[in-house]
Amino acid sequence: MHPSLLQDSVRGCPKEIPHNEKLLSLKYESLDYDNSENQLFLEEERRMSFLGFKCLEISRWVICGLIGFLTGLIACCIDIAVENLAGVKYYVVKQNIEKFTEVGGLSISLILWAVLNSAFVMLGAVIVAFFEPGAAGSGIPQIKCYLNGVKIPRVVRLKTLVVKVCGVICSVAGGLAVGKEGPMIHSGAVVAAGVSQGRSTSLKKDFKIFEYFRRDTEKRDFVSAGAAAGVSAAFGAPVGGVLFSLEEGASFWNQMLTWRIFFASMISTFTLNFFLSIYNNKPGDLSSPGLINFGRFESDVSVCLLLSSPKPCGLLGALFNILNYWLTIFRIRYVHRPCLQVMEAMLVAAVTATVSFAMIYFSNDCQPLGPDQSEDYPLQLFCADGEYNSMATAFFNTPERSVRSLFHNPPGRLFYNPLTLSLFTLTYFFLACWTYGLTVSAGVFIPSLLIGAHRTLARLVSIMFVCRSLSQVWAVPGKYAFNGSCRGIVRMTLSLTVIMVEATGNVTYGLPIMLVLLTAKIVGDYFVEGLYDIHIKLQSVPFLHLEAPATSHWLTAREVMGAPVTCFNRIEKVGTIVDVLSNTSTNHNLGKICGLILRSQLIVLLKHKVRELARSRLTQRKLQLKDFRDAYPRFPPIQSIHVSQDERECMMDLTEFMNPTPYTVPQETSLPRVFKLFRALGLRHLVVVDSENRVVGLVTRKDLARYHLGKHGLEEMQLAQT
Amino acid sequence: MSFGRCFLKLPYFTNMFIVQVGALLIALTYYTNAQTSVVAVNTTIPGSEQSASGLRQLAVAVVPQSSVFHPSLRSQFSLNLLSAFPEDLEVSNYCVELLAIFGQRYSTYVNCLVSAARPVKVCQNCYGTYGNLMEIYKNISDQMGPGNVSCRDSLLRSDRLMLVFLLYSNLEDIWTASECNRCVSLRHYSLTNDTLYFMETLNQSLSCFEKYQKGNHSELCTECKATYRGLNELYSRMEKNHTLCIDIEDSMNMTRILWSKDFNCSFPRAETVPVIAVSSFMLFLPIIFYLSSFLHSEQKKRKLIHPKRAKSNPSFINIQDKFS
Repeated sequence: MHPSLLQDSVRGCPKEIPHNEKLLSLKYESLDYDNSENQLFLEEERRMSFLGFKCLEISRWVICGLIGFLTGLIACCIDIAVENLAGVKYYVVKQNIEKFTEVGGLSISLILWAVLNSAFVMLGAVIVAFFEPGAAGSGIPQIKCYLNGVKIPRVVRLKTLVVKVCGVICSVAGGLAVGKEGPMIHSGAVVAAGVSQGRSTSLKKDFKIFEYFRRDTEKRDFVSAGAAAGVSAAFGAPVGGVLFSLEEGASFWNQMLTWRIFFASMISTFTLNFFLSIYNNKPGDLSSPGLINFGRFESDVSVCLLLSSPKPCGLLGALFNILNYWLTIFRIRYVHRPCLQVMEAMLVAAVTATVSFAMIYFSNDCQPLGPDQSEDYPLQLFCADGEYNSMATAFFNTPERSVRSLFHNPPGRLFYNPLTLSLFTLTYFFLACWTYGLTVSAGVFIPSLLIGAHRTLARLVSIMFVCRSLSQVWAVPGKYAFNGSCRGIVRMTLSLTVIMVEATGNVTYGLPIMLVLLTAKIVGDYFVEGLYDIHIKLQSVPFLHLEAPATSHWLTAREVMGAPVTCFNRIEKVGTIVDVLSNTSTNHNLGKICGLILRSQLIVLLKHKVRELARSRLTQRKLQLKDFRDAYPRFPPIQSIHVSQDERECMMDLTEFMNPTPYTVPQETSLPRVFKLFRALGLRHLVVVDSENRVVGLVTRKDLARYHLGKHGLEEMQLAQT
Repeated sequence: MSFGRCFLKLPYFTNMFIVQVGALLIALTYYTNAQTSVVAVNTTIPGSEQSASGLRQLAVAVVPQSSVFHPSLRSQFSLNLLSAFPEDLEVSNYCVELLAIFGQRYSTYVNCLVSAARPVKVCQNCYGTYGNLMEIYKNISDQMGPGNVSCRDSLLRSDRLMLVFLLYSNLEDIWTASECNRCVSLRHYSLTNDTLYFMETLNQSLSCFEKYQKGNHSELCTECKATYRGLNELYSRMEKNHTLCIDIEDSMNMTRILWSKDFNCSFPRAETVPVIAVSSFMLFLPIIFYLSSFLHSEQKKRKLIHPKRAKSNPSFINIQDKFS
């Protein structure tokens, strides 16, 4: 039955349905990128000297530098912590396995491995599930939403950052099939949001600096710089990072911002590189610009492989996404309690260990040890002395190191055996698919890399070895294009191509990578959306895509808008305002024709007016923009403001606080037009007026995001309380 | 010396491959030469002249065929005249002597290397000859001869080819690659104590192998296990201390292959059943988990909210109408 019919039939009583992808959650609000040009703002601008503006510009640069530096440091910490923790774990398990290979009782080693894995993952899952659920997953969908203009609650808090960093360390050290790139991007964004505000609300510390930047517009610029710095630290790809931010937030862009973002990216990758090289006792070597390091590739370009890789990778990616989609739906519906989520994560970790162990145990593929000890934890098991189990190189390792050994071990040694490869790929495919969406903080890039790389490799291994590294590089983006596919084909492939080119350090492969990306993307889009898009949908986020749905020109603003709108007079009774604010918790309030005022502004006003009134009318200080900024971004709820009966009778003049020139559209405007205006300007509210300039309705983000193109033409999503 | 060496070495990194091939050829010719006339090399001046004249004969043989070089037929005469450069450009006798000794020792070392190639014994057999070669090269590059003559400039770096340096640096590379320094103390012209001890332990194992080789291999596996394990442990200790050279590595490799492949003494895969049991138990857990959470956990429901809409324009019906 069509949802709209359903709704019509039961209008009036609240209805409950199981969670699905066609919902919009009420908990997400819009960010406000439109400057409220009220009188306070104009006054402040007038007061500000030329020097003041110069200082602002300089402090923007300083902040970007700081963002880059801190992001690089965090990446460095994550890397070192993961390496050491995983090192301890694998050392213990290896000792144990060696002991029991001789005397018997290998099942005990299996249990030890599983328990160690689960313990790490439990720690990671507990902090995520119980303290900060916002830190779950890779974080890229959330940052995408933030840059898109959705205010995801708690996504850029300090607590989220701490949980995210600890969580990703735990989950990678716990042997899950995850990477640490997505969390890195999220961390960069949080760092940016924190640094640019010059204070931490969580720590109750205000440094009294950068107060000018305490509003959505400025914060958003810095967050995009932070995301870019994160990408650049994760992949060692500064230009790719800039392009990533550009793609996500291209509608609000200027050249100086691009420069600043590039600066942040560069600083971040350099910081990571610098500190890691000090950590590795090679100061000045600067050989690890990113968290994942492909090293340098040197081989001839061979076109034979070009055409073979993208299609199967596209199909594989589609399968991955479909499986993950169903799993996520199941998780949202049934595994929603925190303790269940922790248990699930632990089970996944234990099973990962078990499967890996079984694979290693039954593998007959032995390879001689290399001269340079490139295997970090070689396991001999039943191999001849001086040889090691090559399946163990793939499984008995952090995913990142498997990737590295895959790329760097000389041909003919590791991963020679096609059977080993295909088995590994198959297992890893399902493990990664199962793992993504758990309540741990973890990224999906490295797993997709392994799957993509191995799959192609398995097919090509018999053809030729020279092309090996190449084929991986080509296959990888093919898979990833899928998972990470964002909006337009060209746009996301652009930043991915650049990221891959930079990460591999090879401009020569630019064209092949791009072609593969395009093909894989087209093949994949035919079946299913990108992984991040799926997760954004499943979170019921009102995400505004690049363009309005194709067949929506007949819809007009009148049908889209919310109505009726709450209106106040220019000079309104305090009592009326309090009553209105107390009654509606969702809607925003509107000055009649002459201006727009936000709920948050009203609350701040009430708070201050009330306080002023309590003291004395004579010493009344004039309210400044600063007072609004101090309250940003956590405005108190209306319940926290007490208004006495006496005060209710006072009158309040809203003139100087409201935005006197809000954007308006006539009610006959088509949906695509409204959409374009809304998205391009980063609006939060759009007033709909009739021919006599009277307010008839208000278009918000949720009103626009609910339309989408489904199987039966244009469909409408429903609002739901989540 | 070191400065000069470094300075000279730099350009050669770029075309290392060519250099190596060249060196191989050179070493080979030396080897064949040494085989035929080990004694004759003693006095090198006639030898070198001989090769020079041989070259000239070659030139004569080639030149008349090309008409372009016709006028140069006369230059053969002038070339003869040029055989003696002015006094100050001529290589001093002292240096020529050094060069002769260098050549001799060079061929001895290469000879030794080739004969010790398989099984690898390049360190234990050839460290003496290498020491000699090193010494003479040091003399050439460092020391002042009688009358403050330095042969470094005249022998090592007076032409583009820098043959002597090239030859030496190639052998030096071989020495470095084989890590012989770790087993040999060149100062005392002897193998290190560690190496000798390893050889001793290795011999114990090998003799044990020999003893039981005839009979059942399983007997060998049990009887020689102790000595073999001792050898393995010693080896891994040495690996940690970085006292391994190619000789030890190779002999250990051979022993391991003997032990695991020929005698088949590796650990058998004996615990398949418990491992499968534990694994399937582990794999069973998530199934139970998901089933129980499906059956017992209440499904999360979402409360639908009806948005405020303008009453005059029931948009839902509009959509329905226009699409049905």
